[in-house]
Amino acid sequence: MNLDSKVPSGPLKNKWSKHLNDIKLVAPNNKRKHDVIVVGTGLAGGSAAASLAELGYNVKSFCIQDSARRAHSIAAQGGINAAKNYPNDGDTIWRLFYDTIKGGDYRSRESNTYRLAEISNEIIDQAVAQGVPFAREYGGLLANRSFGGAQVSRTFYARGQTGQQLLLGAYQAMMRQVHEGKIEMHTRHEMLDLVIIDGKARGIVTRDLVSGEIQRWMADAVVLASGGYGNAFYLSTNAKNSNVTAAWRCHKRGAAFANPCYVQIHPTCIPVSGDYQSKLTLMSESLRNDGRVWVPKDKEDDRHPNDIPEDERYYYLEEKYPAFGNLVPRDVASRNAKIVCDEGMGVGQTGRAVYLDFRDAIKREGQKAISDKYGNLFEMYENITDDNPYEEPMRIFPAVHYTMGGLWVDYNLQSNIPGLFVAGEANFSDHGANRLGASALMQGLSDGYFIIPYTIGNYIADTDLDEVSKDHEAFDEAANNAQSQIDKLFDVDGDKSVVEFHRELGQIMWDKVGISRSEEGLKEAISEIQDLREEFWNNVRVPGESSNYNKYLEFAGRVADFLELGELMAKDALHRDESCGCHLRAEHQTEEGEALRNDEDYSYVAAWEFQGVNGELQEELHKEDLEFDFVELKQRSYK
Amino acid sequence: MPSFLDALKSQVGRKILTGVTGVGLIIFIIFHLATNLQVFGDVHAFNEAAHALESMGWLLYVLEAGLAIAFLLHAYVGISIWWNRRKARPEGYEKYQSKGGSSHMSWASRSMIFTGIVLLVFLVIHIDTFKFGATEMVTLPGGEEARDLKGLMLSTFQQPLYAFGYTAVMILLGFHLGHGFWSAFTSLTMKHNKYSALIYTVGVIFAVLMAVGFLFIPLYIYFGEGCEAALILCQ
Amino acid sequence: MADTFTVHLKIWRQDGPEQPGKLVDYTLDKVNEHMSFLEMLDVLNEEIVAEGKEEPIEFDYDCREGICGSCNLVINGRAHGPKDMTCTCQLHMRNFSDGDTIVIEPFRAKAFPVIKDLVVDRSAFDRIIEAGGYVSVKTGSAPDANSIPIDKTVADTAFDYATCIGCGACVAACPNSSASLFTGAKLAHLNRLPQGEPERKKRTVAMVEQMEEEGFGDCSNYAECEAVCPKGISISAIAEMRRNYVKATLAGTEA
Ligand SMILES: Cc1cc2nc3c(=O)[nH]c(=O)nc-3n(C[C@H](O)[C@H](O)[C@H](O)COP(=O)(O)OP(=O)(O)OC[C@H]3O[C@@H](n4cnc5c(N)ncnc54)[C@H](O)[C@@H]3O)c2cc1C
Ligand code: HEM
Ligand code: FES
Repeated sequence: MNLDSKVPSGPLKNKWSKHLNDIKLVAPNNKRKHDVIVVGTGLAGGSAAASLAELGYNVKSFCIQDSARRAHSIAAQGGINAAKNYPNDGDTIWRLFYDTIKGGDYRSRESNTYRLAEISNEIIDQAVAQGVPFAREYGGLLANRSFGGAQVSRTFYARGQTGQQLLLGAYQAMMRQVHEGKIEMHTRHEMLDLVIIDGKARGIVTRDLVSGEIQRWMADAVVLASGGYGNAFYLSTNAKNSNVTAAWRCHKRGAAFANPCYVQIHPTCIPVSGDYQSKLTLMSESLRNDGRVWVPKDKEDDRHPNDIPEDERYYYLEEKYPAFGNLVPRDVASRNAKIVCDEGMGVGQTGRAVYLDFRDAIKREGQKAISDKYGNLFEMYENITDDNPYEEPMRIFPAVHYTMGGLWVDYNLQSNIPGLFVAGEANFSDHGANRLGASALMQGLSDGYFIIPYTIGNYIADTDLDEVSKDHEAFDEAANNAQSQIDKLFDVDGDKSVVEFHRELGQIMWDKVGISRSEEGLKEAISEIQDLREEFWNNVRVPGESSNYNKYLEFAGRVADFLELGELMAKDALHRDESCGCHLRAEHQTEEGEALRNDEDYSYVAAWEFQGVNGELQEELHKEDLEFDFVELKQRSYK
Repeated sequence: MPSFLDALKSQVGRKILTGVTGVGLIIFIIFHLATNLQVFGDVHAFNEAAHALESMGWLLYVLEAGLAIAFLLHAYVGISIWWNRRKARPEGYEKYQSKGGSSHMSWASRSMIFTGIVLLVFLVIHIDTFKFGATEMVTLPGGEEARDLKGLMLSTFQQPLYAFGYTAVMILLGFHLGHGFWSAFTSLTMKHNKYSALIYTVGVIFAVLMAVGFLFIPLYIYFGEGCEAALILCQ
Repeated sequence: MADTFTVHLKIWRQDGPEQPGKLVDYTLDKVNEHMSFLEMLDVLNEEIVAEGKEEPIEFDYDCREGICGSCNLVINGRAHGPKDMTCTCQLHMRNFSDGDTIVIEPFRAKAFPVIKDLVVDRSAFDRIIEAGGYVSVKTGSAPDANSIPIDKTVADTAFDYATCIGCGACVAACPNSSASLFTGAKLAHLNRLPQGEPERKKRTVAMVEQMEEEGFGDCSNYAECEAVCPKGISISAIAEMRRNYVKATLAGTEA
């Protein structure tokens, strides 16, 4: 497998501009002759589709939801980073780059991460010009806040709805191109396969989720921007329709899947309340600026939290990490919550929660000040749990939030299949083993607005694209494949529902491929997932029919893919015999429980090549070595 | 850009039309009530006022024509809005209720078409009774001969059907205005978060005043037995 | 453990756009007060699937945290149910009690045809945005973000209108099925910003025309839309839309 990263030579700072100079262009009147498929209308797909259409390509855009505006990106709350340095606090592109690569625990490609920081500023300009109503100062200029432990204020935000506002900007830009006739929009369509002809991605097969029809679409290039795969865990902060199907089917067609085990677990979510739970809700991590995290020292202590005296409370983050206290990075906070709960100190009905207490902050600053800062979050918490966080501590627990892994791409965001480009959370590119807050929005938009439109042009200009037809045998094969998978699902006619399988998979993933992983647990997970997959194909019940709107059928296909991906995630976690970023192997931690990296042996991207499933998932590992020419690798410490 | 006429026919244009005509009608009924209340004035005050109107000559025709157009346009647009709404939701809800809160859904707002049509029918009868009704002639202090509308009013409202029928219609007028007053402001683009509640309240008070003002007369005449009534001076 | 209780459900079932639909009765006795309304339906669906006699109930959702605008149920006659400023997905069963009868219907309007059961087609909203709900700025041609200062109050108000999640509750609750609040909100967002100013008139006229073409009804100022809007968007947006429309057309100024 060819894993040439195609990173341009020269100093880090000049790589992208040099690349832009070298890139081949498509003449304006030729762009009209080229079709591009964009799967996904989130920040990455929406911005790519709009920009490609503006350039003149004929874009076909697909999404699962009933409108492009509803992609999962809409849910992002906190903000988006950029190195504008408007607050004059010494931010630079280099600093943003450095924080991001360090935050990713040195498991991302230097050149990509640097480019991300470089482009960040243009994103803000673009969004403002579209009418995105970012927060402003009284002077009329843009406001910034500090986020995710950064030492500078570089996060732009629109109250707690930054993702929504940015997505609406991209969506509106898309709708303008729909109006111009340059984008053909297909909502409620799910991509089920990739069509490769002469080694190049030339189309996709979709299912019309309303009529059930299997359809074929042809193009000169395919952009996959289908989001992350956090829902492999069943419960996550992702939207219910977030899935891996599009990416996984490309993987099965030969696209390498990189670093699947890198999963970010967010420390401040509302805990599970019962087995009917369908998803988890994120509470902004800004809460940790004022809230203190604790559990009762005594495991048996079942008093109301307000009745537990100070000296019987265990403020474990403050005690273990005096320098950062409650503000340690996401992975550290999540891991420690799990540790105290595993030790039996967890609170709430399930024992899987810790307290986040505002009592002292309210005493210090008054209820009004706290409500000014967090009023809407407190309301949201109260609405869901029926508890009043002004009067008693919140209960929180970590939840799966973001997946850093994804399809392998080179510097051009092209996968190892020519013509298949991957953008946003669906690719593995910029965040290494851990993503910092406010950087996913930045990455999705940078990929879509400012990278893919150029690199696709380069590909199209540089490639012989023969005339193909939808009757090509590759299309037949892919369409039959999609249909037969659906038929197979109905044929099982077992008696266990799709949701039960998904929940069971999620439990295995959470227990053994979650916050902390061990060789033993991972091996168990692999065999349990295999068994579950086997059971799925023998005992799943899919109700309804395929020629109609059928949510259970959609989910069945997605769960089938998660059942394969889950095994790959466990395999990847097992093979990566080190700890890094979010990936904590119990065997590799310092005495205080910190992640211990092994740069000697594991400073590479693990890119997996699909070989088949036959009881076991067969995957071959390929490595792209990570070279650090410009930054020095250090151990992270938050003591 | 659409032509002036097309713009008027658009959804926004239609609301501008109901609003403008609605306000026109409000102004008309204010004057109308002011005139009516003259029955409580001097012996001839009411007939003098009516006569003054009738002597306006061509100007009266213009005003009447304007009024007729406003009425017809108002009714036409109102009915077409109601008609559209049936088309816009061919299958209704099995269960429907208002969420309350900032909603202005009320019997008044939901019955605009009903109260409006009643007003339209009423208008025909009303014009027939008074505009074209047979009257005695009286000589005004100024010496002119005029229709004794006051006499007609007094005799009409001593009949229970008229007295109570008018009263009922005036209550409906109150409801029409209860939503209409505020609604017209919003239609005519004058909706402000801060003053909206105030305007709504003023509208309701106005509506009550109008209704009470109009219905007071027939009821007073009926129960006061015409010229016997304390406040009404007859020759 | 929280108590479980029983509710009686009357749910609209409809096989497709052309087929007639009807309310079907269900009783669910495993309701937990902490469940969300949609989780309650999930549980019901699991029972239906286990029984295997009929197809599960289809309803729309995605984020389940009140931001994507997918969920759309009329619950006991109210779009998104009884609670203020909440979407169906954020409504919890503690707002109901043991023995309650709950009627669940789709958002109804000619412009929102039913696809199946409670799922409707809201693409008319996309077409309204398509008609002009954007600023025509190409990627890459933007000036520095701080080159145009914007009064904070203007930016904040624009944001308030921009929070519309496009769920369609305004249409569902309006006795006339008017889309004026949806259209007005987007106009009020873009029209008040300096970036949106150059296309203000064109945008207003185009979007108003499109909303009518889609078959939405007129606005009679009931303000029910504001009451059901999960983001609390004010009908001032509608008055503002009319003002801009009048300026663009009736006031005779050429755009
Ligand atoms: C609650 C929450 C809060 C967050 N807050 C922040 C934050 O403050 N800052 C930040 O930077 N990041 C944040 N993130 C992360 C960030 O929102 C996501 O990583 C990012 O939006 C992903 O964008 P995307 O375009 O790659 O994918 P998505 O937005 O997930 O879009 C995926 C698209 O692909 C389509 N799709 C998927 N599969 C298929 C298929 N098979 N066929 C057709 N279409 C398909 C979907 O319909 C959708 O349109 C947050 C995430 C969550 C969950
Ligand atoms: C004295 C007579 C009348 C007065 C003072 C009056 C006043 C008003 C006012 C102020 C409004 C609000 C306008 C708006 O929302 O923009 C209104 C609305 C309305 N009027 Fe009248 N009106 C009168 C007679 C009628 C008649 C005769 C009809 C006949 C059908 C009618 C039908 C309506 C309807 C249906 C509406 C609601 C329009 C909508 O749904 O938006 N009105 N009226
Ligand atoms: S499911 Fe997203 S708003 Fe309700």
